[in-house]
Amino acid sequence: MNKPSMIGKSISRRGALQGMAAATAVAAIPMRASAQDATLRWWSPQGAPAQVAAYQAQIAEFEAANPGIKVVFETTSDEGYAPQLAAAFSSGEVPDIVTHLPSFATQSYYANGLLEPFNDVIEAIGVDDFYPGANDVFKAADGNYAGTGIGNSAANMLWLRTDLMEEAGIAEAPTTWDELRTACQAMQKGGIYGAVLPYGRNSMTTLIFVGVIHQAGGQVFDTDLNVNLDTQATRDALEFYASMRELCPPGATNYSWGEAITAFVSGATATGIYTGRVLGNVNAQNPPIADFITCVTYPTKSADIPTWTFNDFPSVFIPKQSRNIDAAKAFAASLFNPPGYIQQLHAAPGHVLPVLKSINNNPLYQANEIIQKYPAEVELMSQAAAGGFNLGYESENHPSNEKAGEVVGSGVIADMVQRVVLNGENPDQVIGETTTAIENIMNG
Amino acid sequence: MPKQVGPPDGQPDPERHIMAMQKQTLLERRYSMLGLLLIAPTVLVFCAVIVYPLISAIYLSLFKIFTPTLEGTWVGLDNYRELLTKGEFWTSLRTNLIWTVGTLSLQIIFGVGMALVLHQNIWFRSLARSLILFPYFISTVVAVLVWKWLFNDLYGILNHFMMSAGLIEFPIDYLGTMPNAMISVILVGAWKYFPFVVIAVLARLQSIPDQLYEAARIDGAGPIARFFDVTLPQLREVLVVIILLRAIWDFKEFDLIFLLTGGGPVTSTQTLPLVVYKEAFSLNQMGMAAAYAVIMMLIMLVFMLLYMRRTRTEGS
Repeated sequence: MNKPSMIGKSISRRGALQGMAAATAVAAIPMRASAQDATLRWWSPQGAPAQVAAYQAQIAEFEAANPGIKVVFETTSDEGYAPQLAAAFSSGEVPDIVTHLPSFATQSYYANGLLEPFNDVIEAIGVDDFYPGANDVFKAADGNYAGTGIGNSAANMLWLRTDLMEEAGIAEAPTTWDELRTACQAMQKGGIYGAVLPYGRNSMTTLIFVGVIHQAGGQVFDTDLNVNLDTQATRDALEFYASMRELCPPGATNYSWGEAITAFVSGATATGIYTGRVLGNVNAQNPPIADFITCVTYPTKSADIPTWTFNDFPSVFIPKQSRNIDAAKAFAASLFNPPGYIQQLHAAPGHVLPVLKSINNNPLYQANEIIQKYPAEVELMSQAAAGGFNLGYESENHPSNEKAGEVVGSGVIADMVQRVVLNGENPDQVIGETTTAIENIMNG
Repeated sequence: MPKQVGPPDGQPDPERHIMAMQKQTLLERRYSMLGLLLIAPTVLVFCAVIVYPLISAIYLSLFKIFTPTLEGTWVGLDNYRELLTKGEFWTSLRTNLIWTVGTLSLQIIFGVGMALVLHQNIWFRSLARSLILFPYFISTVVAVLVWKWLFNDLYGILNHFMMSAGLIEFPIDYLGTMPNAMISVILVGAWKYFPFVVIAVLARLQSIPDQLYEAARIDGAGPIARFFDVTLPQLREVLVVIILLRAIWDFKEFDLIFLLTGGGPVTSTQTLPLVVYKEAFSLNQMGMAAAYAVIMMLIMLVFMLLYMRRTRTEGS
């Protein structure tokens, strides 16, 4: 009886090993060939489908103009970018370009020698085209720019339902906390909650509450970057935040950006707090209320306290460890070319606002349906964002705070909110412990 | 008469014997070399993925290190001293133990119960045995997303059904208040990992001799008595191994808890792996994170030693 002899005779173990080695070598050839061309990795937490489509159009244009360079877009997240970048920097496997992170993250990375100076990219885009002072927030201690803004954002706008206001007999948008509370109480009925504020253990709670402290006339750090939380303003802010709890959905104790916008856009709440992304989302996902929404800057404790808008100054920067710095710089500059940049801004109209004068005045930018439908809201957000601040840049008198990212990441401010508002702990004790925790981070 | 070459009849030739010994030794040596060669890849992989990270973690824990740059200064045992005096370590350890004991207990109860059901002659038994593995194989991220939607206060089906049935007037906040958050996390953990218990217990159930049950029946034992007097003693060995293994895996669980609650409200569901992550990547303190990880390893070492002792006893 003949045995099937192919394996036994024709392919010996040594032959099989030789074959595998040959196959591996063949498989490696295209890898080596492709390594001759540059592939840029682009990270951003702004990854809504329309935005990604706009990025892909910009990538296609850049690749066509720069044969041999390929750009790959990868989405990070608002909550997860810090750990992802920390791991990337420590492993050396960094993206070549990063966009839409807050300015304080950019400053922190630059201060630690992790970023390439951005001066020549700003010059390539056109220094005079930026709004005056737009790049001040990115100026590092050595006089260089750590990055630049790819847009502006007004993250804590108060969104209102005008139809519900009318039903409740509210004629004017609230400008103070008392007016806001009264309005929310009047509109909370029929399964609709009056407000949505984040109470979760996340960055949104931290960033929004920093705004509330300023809206009470306080600040987290003084102008010498000493922790300055132990003030009446912080106590007032906590008291206001606690008083709003009963006007928010029960699950707000775990809300972050996604849940907050969904609550208002879906019509579950009469007011909301978010950027201009609300405009596009309402028109796409809940058109029946599209004619009844507007926004104002978030109310303050009293009329004599100026408004404080949270602008994270969405940035663009290039890690120093990038293996393709020149190509990354060329690509970074190309992101501001009018047709592509406008398409990117139109992907979330009102959410990311232009930083270049020429773009804001460009008829193509103004031709957007949403921008035309809500001109007053877009203009208000633009003005508010231009005068906005964040934890890394609390006022014009504050120096850049390179530890702001770690303070946000530690969650101590969100913890403070949760301990006082949800657990009912003594505010004085909690504020004292939070002050110590932030001081430890600053000194760490 | 020719000179006799070699030993007299019946006597062993010493030279041949020495040559044979030498040949054998050479062969043995070659076999030994081959053995070393064959085991070398395993040893190398073991060193690369177990020994190196372990030594590296212990080494890192003796420094104060900024994560993005991995630059740091020697602090000796200061990280350990600091973490052991921190309230956060002890509260997180307590939370970790509550989570581990809670979810593991439910996994065992659900797992044994379901294995007993699937051991019976029921309709679609094969299909049911396959489907029961679904939670175990599904990605944690996907499972958490689904559960978060189920728990959602505004659109979640759990609140919707309970409000429709008139059981509650307002939606329940499953993940944002205590003790709801811990109960929810424990339940989701039990749902996700109980199939492992089902697989192991079912395999053991199938090997229990029928004679034992027949004898018990003849002695007048009912279903409950048969379970406690026959089934449970027979499952004892496998349950001990399952409990030790799952205790180790549950103790170091990260993604499920992190994605469901992020450790909140405040730090009520913050277990030690979440603290390690926070120290390493939110506070950029890789040295302190490594110290937490080493302490965690020492705690898990207790479980591992118990497991190894158990398996060694079974082997002997």
